[in-house]
Amino acid sequence: MEPKKPPQDFTLRVRRYDPESGEAPYWDEHTIQLEPHRSVLEGLLQAKGRFDGSIGVRCSCKAAICGSCGVRVNGQPGLACHTHLGDALKTAKNGVIDVEPMGNMPVIKDLIVDMDAVHWKKIQRVTPWLLADDENMPEREHIVPKEAMVDVTQTMACIQCGACVSDCLSMEVDPLFIGPAALAKSYRFVGDPRDTQQAERLKDIAEDPHGMYSCTHCFKCIEACPKGVAPMSQIMRLRRRATGDHHIKDRNNGFNHEKAFVKNINKNGLLHENDLLADSFGGKLNPASGLFLAKSLPVITRALLRGKATLKVALLHPHKAPADVKRIFDTIENRDKRNEFNLYISGTDEDNAPNQPEEAPQNGAHAGQEATA
Amino acid sequence: MSKKVAYWPGCVSRGFTPELHGSMAKVAPLLDLELIELDRACCSGAGVIAEHNQELADTLNARTFAMAQQEIRNGADLMMNICSTCQGAHSESQERLDASAEYRAQVNETLKPDGLEYTAGISNKNFLWLLVEEIGLEALKSKVKRPLTDLKVGPFYGCYIVRPKSRIGIDDEHPRDTYLPLVIEALGGTVIDYAGSHKCCGFPIITMNTEASLAQAGRHLGDAKDADADCLVTPCPLCHLNLDLQQPLAAKAVGRKLDMPVLHLPQLVGLALGLSPKEIGLQRHVVKPTSVIDWTTSVVGSVG
Amino acid sequence: MPSHDVLIIGAGLAGQRAALAAAETGVTVAIMSKVHPVRSHSVAAAGGINAAVSVDDDWRSHAYDTVKGSDFLGDQDAIEVMCSEAPKEVMHLEHIGVTFHRNETGHLDLRAFGGASVKRTAYVADITGQAILHVLYEQLMKHHETVDRYEEWFTTSLILDAEGTCTGCVARHIRTGRMEVFTAKNVILASGGAGQVWKPTTNALICTADGIAQAYRVGVPLMDMEMIQYHPTTLVENGFLITEGARGEGAHLLNKDGERFMEKYAPNKMELASRDVVSRAEQTEINEGRGVGLNGEGIYLDITVVPKKRTLEALREIVNIGKDFAGVDITREPILIRPGQHYIMGGVKTDIDGATPVKGLYAAGEVACVSVHGGNRLGANSLLDTLIFGRRSGEHAAERSKHMAMPVNDDAILKRDEAMISEIINRPKTGRRISEIKDELGTIMNQKLAVYRDEAGMLEAQEVVKRLKEESRSAYIDDRGTVFNQDVLGAIELGYMLDAAECCVLAALERKESRGAQFRTDYPERNDEEWQKHINTTITADDEPAITYSPVTITQWQPEERKY
Repeated sequence: MEPKKPPQDFTLRVRRYDPESGEAPYWDEHTIQLEPHRSVLEGLLQAKGRFDGSIGVRCSCKAAICGSCGVRVNGQPGLACHTHLGDALKTAKNGVIDVEPMGNMPVIKDLIVDMDAVHWKKIQRVTPWLLADDENMPEREHIVPKEAMVDVTQTMACIQCGACVSDCLSMEVDPLFIGPAALAKSYRFVGDPRDTQQAERLKDIAEDPHGMYSCTHCFKCIEACPKGVAPMSQIMRLRRRATGDHHIKDRNNGFNHEKAFVKNINKNGLLHENDLLADSFGGKLNPASGLFLAKSLPVITRALLRGKATLKVALLHPHKAPADVKRIFDTIENRDKRNEFNLYISGTDEDNAPNQPEEAPQNGAHAGQEATA
Repeated sequence: MSKKVAYWPGCVSRGFTPELHGSMAKVAPLLDLELIELDRACCSGAGVIAEHNQELADTLNARTFAMAQQEIRNGADLMMNICSTCQGAHSESQERLDASAEYRAQVNETLKPDGLEYTAGISNKNFLWLLVEEIGLEALKSKVKRPLTDLKVGPFYGCYIVRPKSRIGIDDEHPRDTYLPLVIEALGGTVIDYAGSHKCCGFPIITMNTEASLAQAGRHLGDAKDADADCLVTPCPLCHLNLDLQQPLAAKAVGRKLDMPVLHLPQLVGLALGLSPKEIGLQRHVVKPTSVIDWTTSVVGSVG
Repeated sequence: MPSHDVLIIGAGLAGQRAALAAAETGVTVAIMSKVHPVRSHSVAAAGGINAAVSVDDDWRSHAYDTVKGSDFLGDQDAIEVMCSEAPKEVMHLEHIGVTFHRNETGHLDLRAFGGASVKRTAYVADITGQAILHVLYEQLMKHHETVDRYEEWFTTSLILDAEGTCTGCVARHIRTGRMEVFTAKNVILASGGAGQVWKPTTNALICTADGIAQAYRVGVPLMDMEMIQYHPTTLVENGFLITEGARGEGAHLLNKDGERFMEKYAPNKMELASRDVVSRAEQTEINEGRGVGLNGEGIYLDITVVPKKRTLEALREIVNIGKDFAGVDITREPILIRPGQHYIMGGVKTDIDGATPVKGLYAAGEVACVSVHGGNRLGANSLLDTLIFGRRSGEHAAERSKHMAMPVNDDAILKRDEAMISEIINRPKTGRRISEIKDELGTIMNQKLAVYRDEAGMLEAQEVVKRLKEESRSAYIDDRGTVFNQDVLGAIELGYMLDAAECCVLAALERKESRGAQFRTDYPERNDEEWQKHINTTITADDEPAITYSPVTITQWQPEERKY
């Protein structure tokens, strides 16, 4: 075990807001003393305990399980209790650790945001409870595959802290977006073999103009999540199930876009943007496609005029996919079952390797220590 | 020190942003970089193929890696790409492929008929990383012929190259999410700090939630403008599509004038290394790089 | 003035289960909590929930293990209820969505746990409490039309009418500072334990004995308050919990000689003896100089003997805790642990329906003492306790509501509490800080009311608690606002904690024997003759606790010597 470092001074710059004062938010600095492996939350609690009890921060377990203390530390969303002071100092500007309330939600006071107004409202949006077959409920437990329960445990591991919601870049411009936490919650049921309404759930969030197809793939939520839920990966699985398993043709072009993209690569090997745009709207002759292209026409014309895209590139397909690409498509697309390799469930080879030392001594003594009889 | 790379240019650099591929080809010799183009390789899937079928995306990317490894066996140092999105999609596939011998074997089985096999652990770097980690900032600085003095440049990374950190290989030794300012400074330019540098351009949802997509592009361009940037630079051609090609629509979406030129990373490097605006295809942008051209007028003349 | 047939205070497992059970009968229900329900401390329960669901198991075996675990202080009628109803409850949880892990045949997988004679612990990785709590909250969202939720409301007092029947409570809306009288035909306390009285503790910051003190202050006896569980595996670093599931999966405890010392103390069950036994063994090793780490104040928990794949799948959370909070990769090296305060077996005295001696007032979960845990609770029995007695009190309270009229409350208590809060807010900054008093309380309790106790130490603690109680009356706060004034709530919580501490010390001094979690070096033997009985503490007119006794209910298991 590495030796623990002694306590040192850290300066916390806390974003304060007092709704009763009529004043704008301001920054408030406190210097606290703790070991570098202690958390930013412990730092805040020390400042609260010693200097100013009026600092508002929700907190409870201190161990990254209750989900109360979502904040931004140096601009990064996460749990205050899950961020070491030493690490926070590394990303701090001018040696001062900034602590701010989460984003995308209204601030109530200091570091406390209105989770109900945003986060919980969105959770409620996705019918967040199991819809089992109540008529035919088994007397004992449902018999389900072992892997299926481990799989949904990844989304069950969500502690509803809101860190992913805080910095969702789609939500930043589209407050109606259902968002990462709620969509991950939706997968928790869509991925649960006991749920009887999976197709309905998927159709609901596919058809919502602010639903699963409004995720931009920005990975912010994966980065923010302190529990490895990887909301964006769950959203991709929702899409995969919606298009691949349930063939849900949504009005947001999610289905068409995916099919068009895949067809495009299968045909060309490389992405051919013009076809993609047209196909995404149901083909070149589809009225929706025409509308979009008409809107984009000045842009495309301009691109052509600038020599950015040539007519040849725009209309013909200079690239053709090599034969082996087509073969790979055929092989994999024709499998009976779609393969999905989830590291959360499978672990890496390293994870699954036998323990070191390979055979633990009978009495459990570990390397470097004499075993007593 | 010269480098030889197995080079994956991506699709968009040869489609809607040909000036990216072109400028990379022009800049490479100036950096003693030999590009061995992987011309039979195919699209990284940009996350969409993975969304459709993970195994398909991983197999197509393993195919590309296997081709690159053939070149590496023939003397190339590593694989390089010039597209953040390719980098991210590649890294995601590589993470799974490298994690499990069993999964890798299954993927290689599909590649077998064409004599290809992927061996775990390929080194695949975006041009940005290569500049900092392989060529080095000092070496880059020494090659600058025309420092970008007084040019205020806002960095725009593209999501796929900065998140998630562990997959992208960002750690204390490789702070890859801080490289763009280092490169801009090495080229003599001034770095503009603004809210959007690490955010999403919105491109992936341009056909699915057009309004939100354009609002994202417009917001970041506007933030850069407010921070007094002359132009943005990006290592991602897909970001370029939303930030440049779609900029007139983005401006409408956010209801303000933007007029923010967006340069591809090799273009910015090329300018500083002495290439003319025309050589690096600046005339092909939708938003005229006026500020950049004003700055170069006295030296190289205006572009067509 | 909101009024409901059943009002539940606290929204952890017991509270939510009570609310759902009551709502099912058609009465009007409200659930109130000082935190959002999913922040409740039940979320931290890791290892699992016990139930004899296996075909090879029998609830009587579970009940016997529980009786033995309690060191024959548990009430056997209550234990029979809990264990016999357990399988049905676990199946109910499975039906409403809990993602219990399965075995290869797709049935519930069961893991080994301390003090259990067979594998009978159902689990969701090592986030079982979280999984159940979140699923219950899903059900509350589903039934939002039948259960009113008052989230982030802080209870300041219970209200009793002239006949001494509970008719509601006064609470403060934390977000606005508004005080309100809540009228109810029946109130169920489900506000958790008192861990913050100790420092360190595995318990969350919200576990401040609120319900225990609120009931005590209106005259309800507190039972078994001396029985404080020290969990065998808490991080030396910061007191965080490492689940018993680790030992359930096969992890070893080692002293500085690399010896699996449990051989000496519990040769049959080894690391899976009951918690009081394992904690005492560890403390003995440490006290006798065979501890490890800085100052030899810890013990090694070696999880590397568990297959790595299994650890990553079934003990994921403690892999993270090791990595994030102790800098240790538990799949590669042992981790430094020691006994740490974890649970209070005692609490508000109730019967098997959760009813307290005060009419209209129920209690369930850690706040309550039924008593199913007696002198020592078995691992994975706490989740079960919350759910079984949560449900039973919900049902019972609902039934009682059907036969009575809605009581009428005036605002006397409301006015009193408003004045109390305004007095705290306006105190001059001359006394001590709340945080100082809380620290001193935690430290003395952890020194003198821990694994080993004696009279001299406890008398000293008694003096300190008395002084701190006095000092708390003039302790000042900084926040003078109304919106989220956490400072003033902290001052009120400190008062709750001091009441609980006072009762704990008094009861522990009173019990002149060693049983379960109470080990007195001055009375090292169990003494069934004199102490096979519950100790109750009840408030007196001069605001101090007085002792009474009540018998232990024995149905089929006579006390015997306890060996693991």
